[in-house]
Amino acid sequence: MPDLPDREPVKAAQALVVGNAQTRRRLDVPVVVDDSKCVTGCRICVESCPVDCLAIDAAAGKARMAHDDCWYCLACELDCPNDAITVKIPLLVR
Amino acid sequence: MSTPAIPTHADVIVVGGGSAGSTAAIFAAQGLAAAGGGRVLLLEKANIKRSGAIAIGMDGLNNAVIPGHATPEQYVREITMANDGIVDQRAVLAYAERSWPMIQQLDAWGVRFQKTPGGDYDVRQVHHNGRYVLPMPEGYDLKKILCRQIRRAGVQTVNRVMATRLLVEDSSGRRRIAGVIGLDVRSGAVSVIRARAVILACGASGRLGLPASGYLFGTYENPANAGDGYALAYHAGAELTGIECFQINPLIKDYNGPACAYVTGPLGGHTVNALGHRFIRSDYWSGQMMLEFYKELHSERGPVYLKLDHLAPETLTEIERVLHRTERPSRGRFHRGRGQSYATDQVEMHVSEIGLCSGHSASGVWVDEHARTTVDGLYAAGDMASVPHNYLLGALTYGRIAAEDAVARLTAEGPSGATPMSEAPPLSEASETAIAAERERVLAPLARSDGLPAHQLEYKIRRLVNDYLQPPKTANRYHAFLGHAERFRSELAEAGAADPHELMRVVEVGFILDCAEMAARASLHRTESRWGLYHYRLDYPERDDARWFVHVNVHLGTDGAMAISERPVAPYVVPVSDAELHSYSKIRLPAKVETAAPVPAESRSIAAATVAHP
Repeated sequence: MPDLPDREPVKAAQALVVGNAQTRRRLDVPVVVDDSKCVTGCRICVESCPVDCLAIDAAAGKARMAHDDCWYCLACELDCPNDAITVKIPLLVR
Repeated sequence: MSTPAIPTHADVIVVGGGSAGSTAAIFAAQGLAAAGGGRVLLLEKANIKRSGAIAIGMDGLNNAVIPGHATPEQYVREITMANDGIVDQRAVLAYAERSWPMIQQLDAWGVRFQKTPGGDYDVRQVHHNGRYVLPMPEGYDLKKILCRQIRRAGVQTVNRVMATRLLVEDSSGRRRIAGVIGLDVRSGAVSVIRARAVILACGASGRLGLPASGYLFGTYENPANAGDGYALAYHAGAELTGIECFQINPLIKDYNGPACAYVTGPLGGHTVNALGHRFIRSDYWSGQMMLEFYKELHSERGPVYLKLDHLAPETLTEIERVLHRTERPSRGRFHRGRGQSYATDQVEMHVSEIGLCSGHSASGVWVDEHARTTVDGLYAAGDMASVPHNYLLGALTYGRIAAEDAVARLTAEGPSGATPMSEAPPLSEASETAIAAERERVLAPLARSDGLPAHQLEYKIRRLVNDYLQPPKTANRYHAFLGHAERFRSELAEAGAADPHELMRVVEVGFILDCAEMAARASLHRTESRWGLYHYRLDYPERDDARWFVHVNVHLGTDGAMAISERPVAPYVVPVSDAELHSYSKIRLPAKVETAAPVPAESRSIAAATVAHP
C-alpha cells in the first residue's frame, strides 16, 4: 500500500485560519409551561426571571424557556398568577 | 414592547438592585430629597423584584449585632478571628454599630423577625463565640418590601440594563467617577449615563468555578452575579483586596444550595462523616472549617453529610417550612426527586467550586468605613465590597452607609449638590474615545455570524478555573492557568452573539476572565497559607504572620497590565489577643477511636432529639 500523503502540516496551518462552524442541538430545560393556563399577553414570568432565560414564543404566544440558563430559583413559578409553570430541577443536577 | 427611555444623567447611579443596591437607592433618594432634591437611578441587569443574591428570599440574618445579645466590639473580635487577622476593623465596626439601626428600620418596613414570647429578638448561636443569628421566617417577603420602599423613595429604576464599564474622568489630578456605560440586554442598545457618584452593588463573582454537575447555572450564588462589580471597579482603576481569600462553601452535593447549617444547627442538625461522627465543632463558614471539611471529604471517612434524621418530626417540619420556602426553595423537590427525606436520609454534602464574595469570605473591592473605593466618587457595597463576612445584613447596612456618604459628599459640593444634575459638563476627549471603543467592544459579537458561542466559552474558562485555581494552590498550576487565560482571551475576541441576551453572556465571560486572572495573581503573590482552604498553598503550607500580615491588593496598572500592591493592616480598634487570633484553627474535633464500618441507612438508630422545639 502506498504511503498516504502527509497533509497534516497544511491542515494544521489551515485550522488556525479557517474560521468557525456551528450546529444546533436539543436541550432538556427545567421550566415547563402549561399552555392551557398560560395567559397570552401576560409577561410576568419573563420579567421575574433573574437570569432572563424566559421569553414569549412568537408563534404560540406563550412563555417558554428560551435560554439554558435556569437557576431553578422558582421566581417564575411563584409569580405566575395562573399556576401555569412548573420548574423541574435541571437534568444535570437532579 | 416599549422600554422606558434611559435617562442621560443622574446625581447618584446605583448599579445592581439586590440587597445592598436597594438600601443604597432608598437612602440616596431620601437623602437627596432632604437636601433639596436630586435624581437617583437604579440600574438592574435583571428586574429588581427578583434580583440579587437572595432573589426569592432569605431565612435569617446571620450576623445581627443586637444589644443585649452581642456587642459591636464582640462582633469585630469574632470577625477578626474568623478572617485570620487580616481585616480593616474600622470597616467591620462601622457595620457592627450600624446593623442594629438597620434591623429596626427593616422591622419598621414590615420585615418579620422571629421573636420570643416576651417580644425580644430570638437570636441563635452559630458562630464560635457570640450569638448573631436572627431567624426571619417570612424572609420571602424581603425583596417585595424593599421594592415598595424603592418606589416610595422616588428612585428611578431601569431594569434589564447591565453596566459594562464605568466612566472615569481626570479632574485636577484626581480620577473622579463620571458615569456608567450600560447595555440593554433586551434591545442591545448601549447607553452612557452620567453621574456624580456611583454605588456599585453587583454581588459576588458567583460564576467563577464550574459546578461539579457541569451545569453552568447550577451555582450557589445567583448566577446573574458574574463578578460584574469586581471587573467594573478594576477597569475603573479601583483597588481590590483579599481576592486570594476565595469563597468555597459546604453545600448540598449537586444541588449546590446551602444545607443549611444556620437554620438546622440551632435546631440540632450537624455535619457528620460517613461513620456518622461529628468532626468539626462549629458549622460557621470559615476557611478553617472548609479545610477540615475538605480533608474529611477526601479521607477514607468521606463523604460528608448533613445529619437531621435524629430530629423529632415536628423539628423536621419546622426545618422544611423554612428551608423549602425562602432561600433556594427548590431544594425540597430536589430531595423528593431522589426519593429522599430529612427523616430517613442524611443529606450528602460537598465542597463547592470557587467564587469571590466578601459576604461569606473576604474578597472584594477595597472600601473604607464609608464604603468609599479608591476611585473618587465610586462606592461599593454588599457581596462585592471588601468588608468580610458581611452577609445579607452587611449588604443592607453598607448600602445605606454608601448612600449617606455619597449624599453628604454631593451636598457639600455646593449648589449643584442640592439640585438635580440637569446638564452634565462635557466629557473629555479621552472619555469620548473610551465610550466609542467600549461601544465597539460590546457590540462586536453581534456582527460575527460565525463567532464562538458564549456558553462554550464560559464552560471553557470555568473548567480551566476548576483545573488550575481550585485549592489547594501551587505556583506551577497557577502559572499554567495564566498561560491558558492568555490564549483564552484571544478566543473570547472571536465570540459571536445571535441576540442581546447572548451579548450579555459574552460580556459576562469577560468579567469571569478578569476575576479569574485577579484570583490567580493575588494568590500567586501571597506566598504563605492562610484562611484554611480559601488560600491553602501546597508550596507554602505555613501561615507566616511576620511577612504576610498585610492586605494584598490588585489594580489595573498604568501599562494596562494587572498590578499587585500591599497595604498594612490598620491598627486594631478592638484589641484581639494572639491566642484569640488562632482560635479558629482549633475547629476540628478529635477523631473517635472506632473502626466501625459505615452504618447502612436503614439500620441507623434514631438518637434522642436534644433540642427544644421552637
